[in-house]
Amino acid sequence: MRNANILLVDNRKTTIENIKKSFLEIDSKHTLFSAENENEAWLMLDGTHKINPVPKIVLIDVNRTKKKGINLLNAIRNHPDLKSILIFVITDSDEDINKAAALNLNIAGYIPLSFESHKLNYFLSVLNDYWNIIEFSSQK
Amino acid sequence: MNQKLVNILLVEDDEVDVMNVKRAFSKNNIMNPLFVAGNGVEALEMLDDKIIPLPKIIILDINMPKMNGIEFLKIMRENEKLKNISVFVMTTSNEDSDKINAYNLNVAGYILKPLSFEKFLTSVATLKNFWQLCEM
Repeated sequence: MRNANILLVDNRKTTIENIKKSFLEIDSKHTLFSAENENEAWLMLDGTHKINPVPKIVLIDVNRTKKKGINLLNAIRNHPDLKSILIFVITDSDEDINKAAALNLNIAGYIPLSFESHKLNYFLSVLNDYWNIIEFSSQK
Repeated sequence: MNQKLVNILLVEDDEVDVMNVKRAFSKNNIMNPLFVAGNGVEALEMLDDKIIPLPKIIILDINMPKMNGIEFLKIMRENEKLKNISVFVMTTSNEDSDKINAYNLNVAGYILKPLSFEKFLTSVATLKNFWQLCEM
């Protein structure tokens, strides 16, 4: 796959910073955007701060924010221009409260993840390799 | 994921491609039980009649006789028992319309079959690493 826009949604600034740092360290060619909550993410997907082109991939931890994360995934799946986005749930929470709901929304992967830096680099490099072998339509 | 050895269903009509997937699995030490259906109709029969245990992963070709991959996906996603299964398209079709249809039906990935077996081995190794990260 060529360079794709990726949207990371997490309410912890340190998590966003760690993932951004790791993206640089593994030398990913994809462009990472971040949102600190679901509302901000929605504005970047379908509102006043729309990312162009629309992200092909969303990374989100759905276990942190009760129902908000799942509600965002539902909204994505019900939107004609967003429903095909690849969603990867990345979570460091021990509680899988929203795992079944996420799997029901045909996410591309549910990934328990450690935010320790060497492990994070490994996780993200595996994901990055995977993104590089898959094809997307040339449609914007 | 691999420790639990989830079942994988390959839906593929070309016997050479089936052999290549089996060889690539074996070379990459992927020990998961692999079942094979020759087209969409056969896959649905195997799944509906519980001839095989429910797979967590389906590897799906697009161009097949009787029922192609996209038609199969549509029916699968409307079936309560089958709609959650992770689907990875593996095809020689580079058609944009196939990619769009497949992603609209929420496949986890659309992989073009590389022409050389060596490259195919690398793609399967990448898939294996990805599957090992995922909880199904």
